[in-house]
Amino acid sequence: MLELDNVSVRFGGLTAVDSVTLKVGSHDVIGLVGANGAGKTTLFNAISGLVRPTSGSIRFEGRDIMATPMYQRARLGLGRTFQIPQPMHELTVRENLVVAQRFGTGKVDMRKIDEILDFTSLADKAQRDAASELALTELKALEVAKALATNPKLLLLDEVLAGLETNGKRRFMGMLKDLHAAFGVGIVMIEHDIETISNLCQRVAVLNFGRLIADGTPDAVFRDPAVIESYTGAAHA
Amino acid sequence: MTELILQALYSGLLQGGSYALIALGLALVFGTMKVINLAHGELVLLAAYIAYSVESGLGLGPMFAIPIALVIVSLTSVGVYLIVSRIKKDREINSLILTYGIGVILTNFILLVWKADIRSTSSSWLQEGVEIGPFFSMRSEVIFFGVSLVLMAALWRWLSTSWYGRAVRAVSSNRDAAKLMGIDPGRTELVSFLVAGILAAFAGVALFSYGVIQPAYGGALTVKAFIITVLAGIGSIPGVLLAAVLLGVAEALTVTLASSALQELSGMVLFLLVLFIMPNGLFGAQRRRG
Amino acid sequence: MKRSTLISTAGLLLAAYVAVPLALGGNQYVMSMVVAALIIGGVAMSWALLGNLGGMVSFGHAAFFGVGAYVSALTTVKLGLPVFAAMLLGGAGAAIAAVIMLPVLRLRGPYFALAILAYAHIFRILATEWSSVTGGAGGINNIPTLPTVFGVDLASKTGAYLVVLTLVVACALAYSRIRASHYGIALRAMHDSEDATRVVGVNSTLLKGAMLLVSAFMAGLFGAFNAHYINFLEPDYAFNSLWVTLPIVAAIFGGYRTILGPVLGAVVVYLVDQLIFKSLIPTGHQLVLGVLLVAMIVFSPNGLLPLLQKWLKKTVAKEKTHA
Repeated sequence: MLELDNVSVRFGGLTAVDSVTLKVGSHDVIGLVGANGAGKTTLFNAISGLVRPTSGSIRFEGRDIMATPMYQRARLGLGRTFQIPQPMHELTVRENLVVAQRFGTGKVDMRKIDEILDFTSLADKAQRDAASELALTELKALEVAKALATNPKLLLLDEVLAGLETNGKRRFMGMLKDLHAAFGVGIVMIEHDIETISNLCQRVAVLNFGRLIADGTPDAVFRDPAVIESYTGAAHA
Repeated sequence: MTELILQALYSGLLQGGSYALIALGLALVFGTMKVINLAHGELVLLAAYIAYSVESGLGLGPMFAIPIALVIVSLTSVGVYLIVSRIKKDREINSLILTYGIGVILTNFILLVWKADIRSTSSSWLQEGVEIGPFFSMRSEVIFFGVSLVLMAALWRWLSTSWYGRAVRAVSSNRDAAKLMGIDPGRTELVSFLVAGILAAFAGVALFSYGVIQPAYGGALTVKAFIITVLAGIGSIPGVLLAAVLLGVAEALTVTLASSALQELSGMVLFLLVLFIMPNGLFGAQRRRG
Repeated sequence: MKRSTLISTAGLLLAAYVAVPLALGGNQYVMSMVVAALIIGGVAMSWALLGNLGGMVSFGHAAFFGVGAYVSALTTVKLGLPVFAAMLLGGAGAAIAAVIMLPVLRLRGPYFALAILAYAHIFRILATEWSSVTGGAGGINNIPTLPTVFGVDLASKTGAYLVVLTLVVACALAYSRIRASHYGIALRAMHDSEDATRVVGVNSTLLKGAMLLVSAFMAGLFGAFNAHYINFLEPDYAFNSLWVTLPIVAAIFGGYRTILGPVLGAVVVYLVDQLIFKSLIPTGHQLVLGVLLVAMIVFSPNGLLPLLQKWLKKTVAKEKTHA
C-alpha cells in the first residue's frame, strides 16, 4: 500500500533520512524505532507531505504522491498524528472530528464520529474545548481520533504513548491493539519502548542516523547486534 | 544613453545610503522585538521636518539640525517602544495595527504643524552640483552618502563589540537563550528602538537636504524600508546596503527611462518580484513562510 | 436561529428600514452622514471578515475599494451598463484584483500586510497614470447615479440609504453563513495551527484565498456604490488611506470579532469624527482617529462596544440582584 523507495531527506548539510526503502501493506502493524534524532519523525513528515524528500519516491496505493500536497494525501487515506498534539483551537472535541471528517472524506457521518469518540474514550468530553480543557491523555486520544475521522487506510502514529503515565499508557495500549481490528487501518507507529513495540507490532523497522538498519519481526530485530549497538551507543560517526 | 543610465546608477547609489539607514532601523527593531514598526518612516520624516524648521526658523543649515533631530526622534522612537511594549496578547497582529495608528498620529501631527506644502532645503551650498569623474550630484547627496557609510560602519562595530550591540544580536537570534544568559530583553528592545531612532534622524536630515518632503511621505518611506529588508533577507549590514542601493538604482532608472510618476511603482514591483521569485531575499536565508 | 435572536434581528431590520428614514429622512445632512457611515461600515466588515476568517490583517483595503469604484464607474460611463450590474462588476473587479494578490497568501503577518499595501499603491498609481482609460489624475466626472426603482428615487439621500443598507445586510448575511458553515469552522481552526487542519484534509490555502476574494468583493461593492453615490471619482480619493484607517478604527471600536460590530463601530466613529473631531482639528483630524486606534489596541483590542456591552450586562445584573 505504501512504498518508499530510496527516500532521502536532506536539510542543507544534514541528512535526516538516508535512502530508506520500506514497504507497508494494508494489514501491517509496523513499529518504527530508533534513537532520538534518528530521523523517524522526519520520515513521517516526508510521507505525510510536511517535508519534501530530496530524492527517492513515495507511492501510495500505486500512485506517486511526491508532488501531492499534504491535505490531498490526507484525503487519499494517509492519516497522521503529531508528536506534540495539535488540536484545532477554538473548536470543541466534536467539532475537531467534524472538520477532520468533513474535509478528509467529503461528508459528515455523525454515527461514525460517535463511534470514534467511544473508541478513543472521548465521548463524555465531546463538548470540551479541544485546546484548553483536555488533559494530555485526552489530547493524544484526540490526535488519534482526528486521524481516524478522515477514514484513513494507513495511520502514522508519532509517539502517542510518550509522556503518559502507567494507567493512561495501559489504556492507550489497549486501544492501539484494537485499532487495526476495529478500523481496518494499516499502522506505522513510532515508539521508544521496546516492550510496547514487541507487544503491538508484527514487524519492526529500525532507523539509525537516517538509515534503515533492520526490518523484521520484533524478536529478530531486537536481537540484531547492529540494532543493539545503535541503542547502547557505540562510537558515533 | 549610456551616460544617462550610468548617472542614474550613481544617483541611485548615493540614495541607497540613506535608504539603508532607514531599513537598518526597521530591521533592528524587528530583530529584537519581532515587530514591524509601521511608524518608522514617519520618524524619518519628523527628522526631515525638524531640519526644515531649523533652517527656516534659525537660518542654520540642516547639519545643525542633526543634534536636535537626534534628540527628538530618538525620544519619539523610545515613546513608540513604550506603547508597543504594553501589548501582551497577539503581539504580531496587534503591534501592526498599533504602529499603523502611531503612524497616522505622526503623519497628521506633521500635517498640523507644518502644513501640506512640499518643502526642501534652500541651502545653496548643499544643493550645489558636485562632479566626481563623469558623475554629477548634489553636494548634499555625496556628503550624506559618506555619513551613512560611517554610520553603518559604526553600527557594525557596535553590534560586534559593545555589550548592548551583542545583546541585540543575542535577543534577535534566540530570545530565551539570551534571557538565560542574563540579558534583559526589554531593555535590549528599548536600545534597538533608540538606535533605530538615531539612524532615522540622520536619514531624515539627509532626505531634507537633497530631496523634497511632504507629510504623506512617511508611509512611503516605511514601505521602502520594508521592501529593502525583504530584498536583503536577514543577515548582514552589507546585505541591507546592497539592497538599499538596488532600490535606489531601480527608482533612479525608472525616473530616467520612464517617468518620475512611476518612481514609487518601481519599488513595489521589485518587492513583488523578489517575493515570488526569491522568497528568501537576495542574500538571506530566513524562513518567511507561515 | 434562536427565537429571541430572530425577534431582535427583525426588530433591528424594521428600525433600520422604516424607522430611520421616517425619523431622519427630512434631514439631508444627517442622512448623508449615515450613508457615508454605512459605506465605511461595509468596508470595515469586509476587513474584519478577512481578519477573522482569513486570519490576515490588511492595510490595503483601499485597493479593493478603489478598484471596485473604478470598474463600476468605467463600465457605466464607457460601456453604458446599468448601475446595479456595474456595481456587481465592481465587486468582481476587486475580487480579480485580489486574485493577483493570491501568491502573497503564504506570507506571514507583517509581510502579508505590507505586500497588500504595495498592491494598493500600484493600483493607485495605475489609476493615475493610465489616463486613457481611467481619466488620470483628473478622474471621472458625471458618473451615472442610482436609478429610480418602483417610483423610489434611489439617488436621493433616503434612497441611497436604503440601497447601502441592503448591501450591508446582504454582506452580513453572507458573512454569517460562511462563518457558520464547515468552512468557517475550519478557517477558525486554521489561525493557530494550519498544519493541524491540513493533516486532516483541509485545503487551507484555498480557503484563505477564497476569504481574500470574498473580502475584496465586498469592499469593491461598497467602493462601487460610493462612486455612483457621489458621481465623481479620482485616484487620490478612491485609493485614499482614509478608506483604510477609518474602517480599521471602526472595526476595532465596534468589536471586530462580531459581524455587525464593525458596522455599528463605523456609525459611531464616523459620526463622532465628522461632528466633533473635524470641527476641533479641521486638517489632520485623522490624528484623533490614530489616538483612538492606539488607545483601543493597548487597552481593549476586542473593541469598545463589546466592553460597553459587558459593562451594561453587569450593571443590569447588579440591579436585578438588588431589586
